[in-house]
Amino acid sequence: MGKKKRGHPDVEEVLARPWCYYCERDFDDLKILISHQKAKHFKCERCGRRLNTAGGLSVHMNQVHKENLTNVENALPNRAGLDIEIFGMEGIPEDVIQSHNQRVLQQYYEAEAERRAATGNPGPGGTAAAGGAKKPKFESPSDLKKRLAEHKAKKAAQEAAGGSSGDVTPLGAGHGAQSPAINHSPLGFAGPPGYMQQQPAFSGPQGTPPQSAYTQPYGQPPQYAQAPIQSPYQQHPPFSQPGFGGPPPFSPAGASPFSPPPGQQYPQPGVPSFPPQFPGGPPRPFGAGSPPFHQGPSQPPHNHNPSAGPIPSRQGSLPAAPGLPQRPSFGAPHVNAFQLQQMHQGHIPGATNPSQTGGFPPQQSHAPPNEVSEESTGGTREQDHSREGAPGSAQYDTPQPAPANATSVDELISSAAKDVDGSKPATTEAGPEKKAKKEKDKNTRQVYTDNDVSPEEKMAQLPRYAFVPDYREETVLGPAEAAVTGPALGEDDVIDRMD
Amino acid sequence: MSSNQQELSEPPSDAISALKFAPDSSSRLLVSSWDRHVYLYDEHEGQPNQLVRKFEHRAPVLDVCFGKDDDEAFSVGLDWDVRRIDLTTGEQSILSTHEAGVKSVVYSSEHDLLISASWDKTLHIHFPSDMISHAPNTVPLPAKPFSLSRTPTKLVVAMANRLVHIYDLRTLALLCSQSSQPPPNTTELEPWQHRESSLKFMTRAVACMPNDAGYASSSIEGRVAVEWFDPSESSQARKYAFKCHRQASDNGVDIVYPVNALAFHPVLGTFATGGGDGVVALWDANAKRRIRQYQRYPASVAALAFSGDGKFLAVGVSPGFEDGEEVLGEGEVKVFIRELGENEAKGKGTK
Repeated sequence: MGKKKRGHPDVEEVLARPWCYYCERDFDDLKILISHQKAKHFKCERCGRRLNTAGGLSVHMNQVHKENLTNVENALPNRAGLDIEIFGMEGIPEDVIQSHNQRVLQQYYEAEAERRAATGNPGPGGTAAAGGAKKPKFESPSDLKKRLAEHKAKKAAQEAAGGSSGDVTPLGAGHGAQSPAINHSPLGFAGPPGYMQQQPAFSGPQGTPPQSAYTQPYGQPPQYAQAPIQSPYQQHPPFSQPGFGGPPPFSPAGASPFSPPPGQQYPQPGVPSFPPQFPGGPPRPFGAGSPPFHQGPSQPPHNHNPSAGPIPSRQGSLPAAPGLPQRPSFGAPHVNAFQLQQMHQGHIPGATNPSQTGGFPPQQSHAPPNEVSEESTGGTREQDHSREGAPGSAQYDTPQPAPANATSVDELISSAAKDVDGSKPATTEAGPEKKAKKEKDKNTRQVYTDNDVSPEEKMAQLPRYAFVPDYREETVLGPAEAAVTGPALGEDDVIDRMD
Repeated sequence: MSSNQQELSEPPSDAISALKFAPDSSSRLLVSSWDRHVYLYDEHEGQPNQLVRKFEHRAPVLDVCFGKDDDEAFSVGLDWDVRRIDLTTGEQSILSTHEAGVKSVVYSSEHDLLISASWDKTLHIHFPSDMISHAPNTVPLPAKPFSLSRTPTKLVVAMANRLVHIYDLRTLALLCSQSSQPPPNTTELEPWQHRESSLKFMTRAVACMPNDAGYASSSIEGRVAVEWFDPSESSQARKYAFKCHRQASDNGVDIVYPVNALAFHPVLGTFATGGGDGVVALWDANAKRRIRQYQRYPASVAALAFSGDGKFLAVGVSPGFEDGEEVLGEGEVKVFIRELGENEAKGKGTK
């Protein structure tokens, strides 16, 4: 087995590989992905400066070169939009992640099936099924296609029903409504529907191997570990009782989200989606003014039920793409978790929600209640950039160009970049600089601070430079040059003035 | 890179205040210093950059400029005087006297005007060729002037409180020539344009583009602004500012140095900045890109000058300029003449 693993990676390894939203290329390391994005997609074609995000590049082009950036370079045709803020793996819409994962999985199982058919080896964990493993090679393509077709049909139906689809391009009309899906914590992701959906895609020729796949990509340990978190909620009577009608729903749902048949889960799907939000206490995801807990249960969106029809739009927290898998966690997420806590400190004192690690910090972080309404407009980041950059030249001309990107995204970026780059601030161009802008007062020290008296005037005050009226006598006695300067001293004039 | 850079063998003994190349000869350089002298360097017996002569003054000299030819110079300084120096005979004559130290002086060959700016908040406008019949005009300013620069048609005066006045030289010459009174011969003059500096902090230096289109200004807070004379909105929209001459220190604090010196390349239109950090950088004002940055000089860059043909860049280095502290002794004051390669100061273009 060990030998085999070397040849072809586990499905989780495949899924965990960082990949670029813009060109779907995958990388060994998040660091490499980030440098790829900076080099390929966020590089200024005018001056070669490498920015951290498309928004940053847009602002840079606008302010420095007075040009407008319309699309991201070297991107797939439907991914070239500027309205999504991507940094490494951050900011990729759930639906795109999902479709990417599906694609990856599909490729993986195809490859594995091929391999098995070729070698005759049983798949990992495939014991009894191994016997029938040789033939399916010929069956599988059609079977696969059939399932894929089914799956597609299903997805189309969902799409028609207002849900989102992983195939939807980021520029799609529905996008605005989809991207904020992050506000749904992964725990609340409609695990079951997605699970069902993906099944066709997953199941390769063999029925068995996929099962290992399910638990790995989607069954993130932290997620299961959430079950205990319920107890804190139950300590809050107001929460659990009016909202949920008592604890009972929790345990089945939390304990094994996957075990009940999908159909059974729908009746209480809201439940699992809440725990991650409750620790926050304040109604962050719910938009301003909405009573947090009573709204929750009554909100259909929490069902994540793709067949529930068009989901009523809700401020701040828009319907999730159906069947959101939790994003595999690698590298970046732990940064996010940290950042998230920072960002939400005001809102969620001390809430450490592991399930948020896979969320979309850029947008989440962006959702203080008063801005929530904007969240739903889609392309918020872009708007922000343009808004802040709007004064354009005028603003740029001011000595302290207002921190053009003083949002928490940038904080995230800079710190993430720092982290990625081994905490060497100098290695990222924009990050530290932006930070410096923000914390200007703290981070700079002027060598000369007197804004009213020039250095020359100060020097002129020094005794050694003091103008001595009698100096001319000295010059007469001076060295060889005195002969040159002597006649020009204009004695009368000097005497007049000195009086 | 150091091979094409020469250090002057007999530099001033105290801080440098200004460097100026002769209009017609790229080997002839004037250096004014706080050591109360103006130094003339030139090619001498086949050796370049030799000290030819020095001209003693009664007080530290703050600025110097060439006059109508390579043998005439004007100097100003803490003795409040504006002087004319005959570089061949060494004869000095006082053209006018301010009521405070005189910071800057510029000569406009096109209009045969000599303009001096003093901390007494006045400009003195002299007609060097007609000093007898026409007393210098005194033009009051709203604030202390810190830097002067001129193009063939404009005069830019950068002052305290971030004020900038732009005068039209032709109008200035005309009005001043008509207003002839006995001294002080005060002439109230409205500038062609009143501006506020684009920079938030005290203006350190100002330099005009050789193509007469605009100017750059620098501040004590490591920043340079580039703007255009044309008051139209589209031209004003082009102005910009950028940070430079900053240095990150170990504890994450950016040390921000003043940008002491600015000089435009007379041919290529690029410009050089010299900062308190001892760094000289070349910039392309149009492409908004830095062309190059030279290796750090041993001390703060106090003054910069391009030769008339743009082949040489003179860099005046003196320590302790910023803090107003006692300037260190000899050896720390240096003047470098850098011979520029053909494309060394050329902009990279906007791509």
